[in-house]
Amino acid sequence: MKVALFVPCYIDQFYPQVGVATLQLLEKLGVTAHFPAQQTCCGQPLANSGCEHDALPIYKHFVETFRDYDYVVAPSGSCVYHVRKHFDKLDQTADVQHVRGSAYDLIDFISTVLKVEALPGAFPHKVGLHLSCHGQRGLHQANESEMTPVRDGQLRRLLASLDGIELTNLNRNDECCGFGGTFCVSEAAISARMGQDRVADHVLNGTQVLTGSDMSCLMHLEGIVRRARLPIKVMHAAEILNGLTA
Amino acid sequence: MSTASRDRILAATKANKPTETSLPTVPDFGGEATAERFTAVLTGIGGSVVWLDGLAQLEPTLRQLFPAAGRTVSPLLATSAAVDAHTPTEVLAGIDLAVLPGEIGVAENGAVWLPEANMMHRALPTITQHLVLVLDHRRIVATMHQAYAQLPNTGGYGAFIAGPSKTADIEQSLVIGAHGARSLVVLLY
Amino acid sequence: MNHATRADKFLLDADRTTWHDETLWFVREKRDRAVYAVPEFQELRELASGIKDHTLSRLDLYLREFEAAAQANGVHVHWAADAAEHNAIILDIIRQQGATRIVKSKSMLTEECHLNPYLIKHGIEVVDTDLGERIIQFREEAPSHIVLPAIHLKKEDVGETFHIHLGTEKGESDPQRLTEAARQHLRAKFLAGQVAISGVNFAVAETGGVVVCTNEGNADLGVNLAAVHIACMGIEKIIPRLTDLGVFTRLLARSATGQPVTTYTSHFTKPLPGREMHIVIVDNGRTQQLGRPDFRASLKCIRCGACMNTCPVYRRSGGHSYDFTVPGPIGAILSPNIDMKKHSSLPFASTLCGSCTDVCPVKIDIHTQLYKWRQVLGEANEIPASKKWSMKFMGRVLASTRVYGLGGQFARRALRLLPHSLTHAKSMNAWAVARELPEAPRQSFREWYAKQPQPVSSPPQPKVPA
Repeated sequence: MKVALFVPCYIDQFYPQVGVATLQLLEKLGVTAHFPAQQTCCGQPLANSGCEHDALPIYKHFVETFRDYDYVVAPSGSCVYHVRKHFDKLDQTADVQHVRGSAYDLIDFISTVLKVEALPGAFPHKVGLHLSCHGQRGLHQANESEMTPVRDGQLRRLLASLDGIELTNLNRNDECCGFGGTFCVSEAAISARMGQDRVADHVLNGTQVLTGSDMSCLMHLEGIVRRARLPIKVMHAAEILNGLTA
Repeated sequence: MSTASRDRILAATKANKPTETSLPTVPDFGGEATAERFTAVLTGIGGSVVWLDGLAQLEPTLRQLFPAAGRTVSPLLATSAAVDAHTPTEVLAGIDLAVLPGEIGVAENGAVWLPEANMMHRALPTITQHLVLVLDHRRIVATMHQAYAQLPNTGGYGAFIAGPSKTADIEQSLVIGAHGARSLVVLLY
Repeated sequence: MNHATRADKFLLDADRTTWHDETLWFVREKRDRAVYAVPEFQELRELASGIKDHTLSRLDLYLREFEAAAQANGVHVHWAADAAEHNAIILDIIRQQGATRIVKSKSMLTEECHLNPYLIKHGIEVVDTDLGERIIQFREEAPSHIVLPAIHLKKEDVGETFHIHLGTEKGESDPQRLTEAARQHLRAKFLAGQVAISGVNFAVAETGGVVVCTNEGNADLGVNLAAVHIACMGIEKIIPRLTDLGVFTRLLARSATGQPVTTYTSHFTKPLPGREMHIVIVDNGRTQQLGRPDFRASLKCIRCGACMNTCPVYRRSGGHSYDFTVPGPIGAILSPNIDMKKHSSLPFASTLCGSCTDVCPVKIDIHTQLYKWRQVLGEANEIPASKKWSMKFMGRVLASTRVYGLGGQFARRALRLLPHSLTHAKSMNAWAVARELPEAPRQSFREWYAKQPQPVSSPPQPKVPA
């Protein structure tokens, strides 16, 4: 199994530790992932802004970078969703189809491909799980409150397998955090308000560590937590599952 | 009326419609067709259910339920004033209680099918201050699918009525008695 | 003015924003409970979607079938290409009656066509009889929600309005007493109404009848007392068979408010002898939308408003921030069809979270259509030039590994070295108004990775830990 690691641009630049944790976690699960150095971005920021056409060279670059791997794994469901759903704009060559089908969010890869449902380790904290919309509603990695009252999902199960962990029971289990890519600046006020409301739900219900599998949501929420100087630590799930202490 | 617009709309619709897809068959989903379920749901939406020990008990039951009722009309009561399609609006406006026979009860939502033929006047079910629907409990079906399957047609006018008139237009606060009947009792027999 | 600037205004009152969000979330939760209680709910959505898809694929034929059946019922059928023709037809019917007093139940189509101001301009008194609609009619405001038109108002606002228009006691804000005052006021209007105008929830091709769903009973009361009923419908309201209503009536109220069904599900099919019934069938851009393959599914909408109640943006910006008759996610995919320039910001008023798509009872892919409208707007140069050029620039950078690497290094260094007051200047950085920027690390992931010993060329097979 040839596995490539895709580290989205903002993680590469601002959250390298998440890339490291992803690599090490996969290593612990027996998967040596390669990081093809020519990778850049999935093109989502452009496409979500209405400039899909300008993103096509980025899509092509992505496909060229990852076409020789069996799987492309990324610590960001949103990028993966974009590759799977919106690379339909490219000519559907065998390479394009292969890359679209082999792109996986890290947690999805661990759960569905590696079929790992529990991990060793302890994390004795109250952890608030932020479900990214693209991972949950787009990639179906977790149940949706629109369909069922049962709160279940891949990451919830993996986290619950850690010793000593307590998961926060949020009032609104899966409301969007308001990041939304360029939405976070083009509709900055709503975006911030949504993030503040999400964080308030965590504060109200006792979250000590806020986590999720999509670093873009977490970057936004962390920005709000730090601005308000709240006693909440924001960590990517890969860091927790990799055994990092809070 | 412009036939030009009619022709243009139909032509544009024809030109722009997508490739034909098939019309799905709607299954009968089964469900609970009981008076208990009907009662629980109707009570939950502000109506109430009272059991009637046969139609002969209608008058005494009404006297018990509405001791202070004003002008009462019903095709089921011999003592009722005559109301028909020609009854003037001002007479209708003075009616306090209307007692009408319902045709089908729907357990999943507490609705009762009331066809025009049972209404005396089309406006009566909404202009009356209080409404009573009399329903044979054997006519309760589980779902709207089953209710529509049983309707021979909808006549000139007919309505499923589920509970009293209500609104939540002010701050989502539920208020019973918007414009139509202030209360709804279903008498099951 | 775009959506963001109008939203900014709404958000200035933080407490009211909280209240608005929580009030609509409460409706969403009621919807959830109603949905969870029906085991076949997802199957019903699939059926409703399939029935609507099929209907659109034969729409011209169903419209003809509906017209013929309605005419056989003694109903007058009119066709209006646009809002102006719709309004003119209605005024004409009213004038033929010599009527001046009109009662109207809720119809988003007549809002879309701006019927009220048109009739008033021509000397006709038109009274909205839905409580929420009456409130905003007094206030001369547009509805902020398609099911809950006055949801942006607090009970104190309504009390103030009723004090002015209905003479209720000053300071009265009890919903029960305010509703009673409206009941008395509107009873007089119902009793005096000469012509009743209603919307249409469903038009059944098979029977030629129309179905109107209300909780208040205002459509029934108005229509059944007036000599003339005018029902206004868009061409997309058609469903093929009477039994299809089983599917749609099970979905509509549960999705809209969490009720098992609306209080009144009324079937208007034939006028009484001596009375008249008219149906006005309106296009007003709908056939054009039908011709857009990516967007035609928006015509499946049954106007339940669930996408508004669930939308985290709508709940925090209010219906008026959309400046379109139908606000929220569904409005954001309908409006560019009507006026692409005016409504160009609406498809961007979303995080594309997808909740709208998942609550939609007829399974419209709302968030995908939002994404696709963005592309249409981008191609048509209807997005801000600064955004367009920065995206073109980004496209070049991100298609090249080398340029990307250099840019990232530069940005991180700048973030580390520049003072916080500059990197977080609110005038230059919208992100930083309410958020800290991420702390810039000394090295990027790729820089770290390059220093690691290279992995073995043939990686081992995965093992599940014990």
